[in-house]
Amino acid sequence: MAVAATPGTAAYLDRIAVEERFRDVDPVYAETRDIRMFGFVLFLLADCILFSSFVFAYLYLRTSAPVWPPIVDGHQIERLDVAFGAMNSIVLFGSGVTMHFALESWKHLNKLAFNMWLVLTILLGAGFLGGQAHEYLSAPMNYTSSVFGASFFTLTGLHGFHVFCGVVFLTVLGIQANRGVYTGSKYFGLIAGTLYWHFVDVIWVALFFLFYLW
Amino acid sequence: MTAALLERAIALIGSLIVGGTATFQLKNEWPVEGLDAQVTKLLLGLMIIGCVFAFFASLNILGNFS
Repeated sequence: MAVAATPGTAAYLDRIAVEERFRDVDPVYAETRDIRMFGFVLFLLADCILFSSFVFAYLYLRTSAPVWPPIVDGHQIERLDVAFGAMNSIVLFGSGVTMHFALESWKHLNKLAFNMWLVLTILLGAGFLGGQAHEYLSAPMNYTSSVFGASFFTLTGLHGFHVFCGVVFLTVLGIQANRGVYTGSKYFGLIAGTLYWHFVDVIWVALFFLFYLW
Repeated sequence: MTAALLERAIALIGSLIVGGTATFQLKNEWPVEGLDAQVTKLLLGLMIIGCVFAFFASLNILGNFS
């Protein structure tokens, strides 16, 4: 049943909010938004290929080894701590959820909620990096001890670098958003930041499975 | 309670909360059209799979079988 948009009703306020949102539509932005989005998705695909090359190198090394984790100096290297890995994974996946809430808050013109979710995302991302640092310090191997160590530190290091860049990216987005760079109708940077952060989460799904669960 | 047990408990509860919320977000995102929405759906779906991995790992079903 259609609700009449009479003054004072929620439907009326919604209509006003939508009109406010589209008042400042920039025609150049509207025209180039799809092209920029396509370019950003291509960037994510290129990054995916970068990770894939390292993942396939790891798969080759692993499947061609007689035992895994490999034996070094007569002792088999210990497996990684699954419990800690699972907990740290949830910290990162949780940050993906909070980033999604941040973008939705921006779309609904709720700046306070946007700031809250964005700060939470940045904190969770930094928490994941702290967890990775702890994992590196307590890892049962080092970079030069075996192909397991070399693969682990290369792939998780590359991913950690992406997370670090993501934390910086989101911080810059937060500053820009609060300085009025983005509006209710013009917020490509926030969409790109959210997609990048989801991408980083998904790469970790593969790495978590390969190094901790398989 | 050992540290490992605490980590597993956090992973178990966290995977349920995060996985459930991500599923809810995916459901809301489903009717939206456009390249960014499609990529978001794909990435959210894969993240839910990650939560499933973490859930089974926290229950010791995945991760210690070899």
